[in-house]
Amino acid sequence: MSELTYAEIDQTVLDTLSPPSGGYWLLVMVLILGVLTGAACWAYQIFTGIGVGGQNIPVAWGTYLINFVFWVGIAHSGTLISAILHLFRAGWRNPIARAAETMTVFAVCCAGLFPFIHLGRVWQVYYMIPLPNQRLLWPNFLSPLIFDVVAISTYLTVSALFWYTGLVPDLAVVRDRSTGLRHRIFRVLSLGWTGAHHQWLNYSRGYLFFAALATPLVISVHSVVSWDFALGVVPGWHTTIFAPYFVAGAIHSGLAMVLTLMIPLRRIFRYEAIITMNVLENVAKTIVLTGLIVGLAYGTEFFIAWYSRNPVEMESFYLRVTGEYAFGFYFMALCNVLIPVLLLFKAVRRSIPSLFTISLVINFGMWWERFVIIIGGVAHDFAPHSWGLYAPRPVEYGVMVGSFSLFFLLFLLFCKHLPSVSMTEMKETVSHAG
Amino acid sequence: MNAVSPSVQHSAGATPPRAFFTLGAVLAAAGLAAFLAGLLGPQPARAWQAFLINFLLWSAVAQGAVLFSAVTHTVKARWAGPLSGLAAAFAGFFPLSLGCFLVLLIGRNHIFPWLHQDLHGKEIWLNIPFLFTRDGIGFLILYGLGWAYLSQDLKLKTKTAAPAAGLRRLLAGRLPQTEADFQRVQGRKALWGTLYCFAFALVLSLIGFDLVMSMDPHWVSTLFGAYHFVKAFYVGLGALIILAAWVHLRQGKAAGLAASHFHDVGKLFLAFCLLWADFFYVQLTVIWYGNIPEETHYVILRTVTPPWNALAWTVFTVCFMIPFVVLINRRVKTMPHVMMVLCGLVILGIWLEHLLLLGPALNHEAAELPLGIADGLVFIGFLGGMLLAVGTMLKTFPELLPPESGGGR
Amino acid sequence: MPADTQLLGLFKDEAKAARAIQELAPAGFQFRRAHSPIPSHRILEVLKLTKGPVGWFTLAGGIIGFFTGFALAIFTAVQWNLIVSGKPIVSLIPFFIVGFEFTILFSVFGNVVGLLVCSRLPDYRGLETYDPRCSGEHFGVLAACDTGRKGELMDFFQKKGGEVRVFE
Repeated sequence: MSELTYAEIDQTVLDTLSPPSGGYWLLVMVLILGVLTGAACWAYQIFTGIGVGGQNIPVAWGTYLINFVFWVGIAHSGTLISAILHLFRAGWRNPIARAAETMTVFAVCCAGLFPFIHLGRVWQVYYMIPLPNQRLLWPNFLSPLIFDVVAISTYLTVSALFWYTGLVPDLAVVRDRSTGLRHRIFRVLSLGWTGAHHQWLNYSRGYLFFAALATPLVISVHSVVSWDFALGVVPGWHTTIFAPYFVAGAIHSGLAMVLTLMIPLRRIFRYEAIITMNVLENVAKTIVLTGLIVGLAYGTEFFIAWYSRNPVEMESFYLRVTGEYAFGFYFMALCNVLIPVLLLFKAVRRSIPSLFTISLVINFGMWWERFVIIIGGVAHDFAPHSWGLYAPRPVEYGVMVGSFSLFFLLFLLFCKHLPSVSMTEMKETVSHAG
Repeated sequence: MNAVSPSVQHSAGATPPRAFFTLGAVLAAAGLAAFLAGLLGPQPARAWQAFLINFLLWSAVAQGAVLFSAVTHTVKARWAGPLSGLAAAFAGFFPLSLGCFLVLLIGRNHIFPWLHQDLHGKEIWLNIPFLFTRDGIGFLILYGLGWAYLSQDLKLKTKTAAPAAGLRRLLAGRLPQTEADFQRVQGRKALWGTLYCFAFALVLSLIGFDLVMSMDPHWVSTLFGAYHFVKAFYVGLGALIILAAWVHLRQGKAAGLAASHFHDVGKLFLAFCLLWADFFYVQLTVIWYGNIPEETHYVILRTVTPPWNALAWTVFTVCFMIPFVVLINRRVKTMPHVMMVLCGLVILGIWLEHLLLLGPALNHEAAELPLGIADGLVFIGFLGGMLLAVGTMLKTFPELLPPESGGGR
Repeated sequence: MPADTQLLGLFKDEAKAARAIQELAPAGFQFRRAHSPIPSHRILEVLKLTKGPVGWFTLAGGIIGFFTGFALAIFTAVQWNLIVSGKPIVSLIPFFIVGFEFTILFSVFGNVVGLLVCSRLPDYRGLETYDPRCSGEHFGVLAACDTGRKGELMDFFQKKGGEVRVFE
């Protein structure tokens, strides 16, 4: 990497902003159709009623919550890479920090839609905002659902501000190397950044504080999301391990999504000299760690359920492996814990097709983990007369397609209009190496 | 990668002086005397309580400190280089820890409250033979991996071809000669180090469940095992900082430890202070909110009921509030005296925390805290044991000390 | 000063730019600004600048946020004084979560405000005495001199190894 010059870095990244090919526009069209499908399904649900989804008593939370947790999880490893690894001075994070932080912002956007989607009367959601009203009503800050509102809003705001701050010097680079409309837009967006010494002095400090402040958010936000489940008394949900377990799982799935995005990006944009195999390998090694933590958590849950001798808890976990949804458990154990162990082998870590496949497998498995936890818990809790099953219905599949399409559409638009690698941080890496 | 360069020196002046060992021996003797006096006195259970608490605390210190060396090696954090040897020196306590664990067998009737209770089916897990076998095997694996890792590390660092005897021969005998030898030793060091990290998580979780949580056999908290190993790394880092500060104060600049090392390890210490507090809060919130009597009785007894509530607030203040407020300041981390006091305070705090967790289970209907001079003497006794263990390691293997400045990063 | 001419010396090498800044004052020229594509510790050292004051804004934001979070949760709870799920009306354990998130949120707001204020952003006028090469691979040193000494300053920069751009 130290053979790269500043000019080469700039050129490689700025080349990615050139007018896209027909294939790109085709993909954008497909994704827009996906988003419209989701929007149509949601609109149908608003006008017809929440019952068009598969959720009902006892499983009142279905794929809408699964997708919510899934997307918040994806968001977390973006912040891990851009903030936490910045604090650890891990230089390998520099080539992927920009794309990871962008992934965070878009994933939180997608996640943030689901609390609205899962509401029966979404037109009354404004009650959640603590503003004086004529009924003298206020949100109940004792509720974990309100913690969610606070935490997710905070995370979205902080991530967006962190992302934008990180972009400013790069927006200046694009401004300086473009003409016409693009130049005018980026001139405004870059806030007149000139790289002056007083700007850099305060910028570096501010960025460090941003990283230090975003770090506790990674832990706290997904802990708050886990408490949506753990603070209730449902068997399989009410357990103290949920907060760190969810955080580890979030980082696990997020790192896998980073690989899913970076590998094609690297190939299409010819970033091989910038996003080197070492970077991808380090992501893979971190995935091994998070996979093992997730595995330890699975094992501990089973052990404590057995140790507690609580008949309801024991039955809940017995059914996890033998019940109606057992296939979900086998997906999650295989995809989240066993398959990532393959990444311990260097040959697997350094093979692009293997990395890409394993990243898809992990995200598949992590989706099923949330399914097993959310659906499995409430489907079979205390009283036998309240046991019931759940299966998603077409409207939910439509909304899910919409959310995945939205995420990839936003990312695709980002890639072509904003620099997807931080030129400034790459230049810093090169100058430290030289 | 090539091996050591002959210019790296570890000055003989850096090894612990005779006074260090004398102090350690005196403290250990005092502790042993207090423990034996307690055993022969009217309340042997109290002596066993002190023994158990200190065994857990000081074993955690050693396990956590060695973890620092293993983890920083696994993730290739080069900043930790000079501190890594000091951290590995704590492995000297492992044999003592194993011995103390076996001694617990002698006091089992006084230590395990569930021996005489109706366990409603938990007897399969909570019975003396199974518990001591599985925990014993766990310790053997963990400590074996720790010593294997240390041994490979010493083989890479040792240069003298002088004939080795005793402990030196055991760990650092048969030095690598060829390039291929070095590669093999480095590979083994990486392997044992990584395996130590895994074993740390698994074995300390098991110990947390078996020796702490199960003292109240009708209570569970799934995170308790992880809480125990996070606590261990927290106190391990504290002890490492104290040792590093002591080495730095004795030798000054020649110690090879720069302000940046203290700054980095101080930041890591703050991070684990926060993580420990987070793991505590996470358990508290779930139990408080669910409000299920099977879970809340444990927490209510320890945080709200006298005499334990005062202890709980003390632990919270000493182990979280004070370190958090002090360590926010950047410069403090590079002031050795302040860090020694702070880390010492934290270790004392975690000692009290062990009492907070175990005390109510071992002393039903206690009217006042079972904390007295004798308990303090047993603490000091184990401290003496730690001093002797670490001192012996540093004396036998001066390569563990940071290389003199100019020889390392 | 309105009569001043400003010249921008552009250097490809960070060390040369730093040396130029150091020797500007002894040579009788006025240093205005240094531009760089990356944060340059060497240039900041030469200018004897340590950390900026952004942290104070962040801290102020954090303190405001901490109290705001708790205040909001406590205020809303005592409006109706209803016992919900058997929990006390003012329960600090769950309210801590709200306080914590608000602390982070307002710290970040403070951080952003501090960053903008201390860096004096947005500042589009600075672009008038700026060369786009400064965001690429060049380090820029903006210096001012009397109109008569323009040639001297140009020589100064060229001797130090840089190109020159003149702003009238």
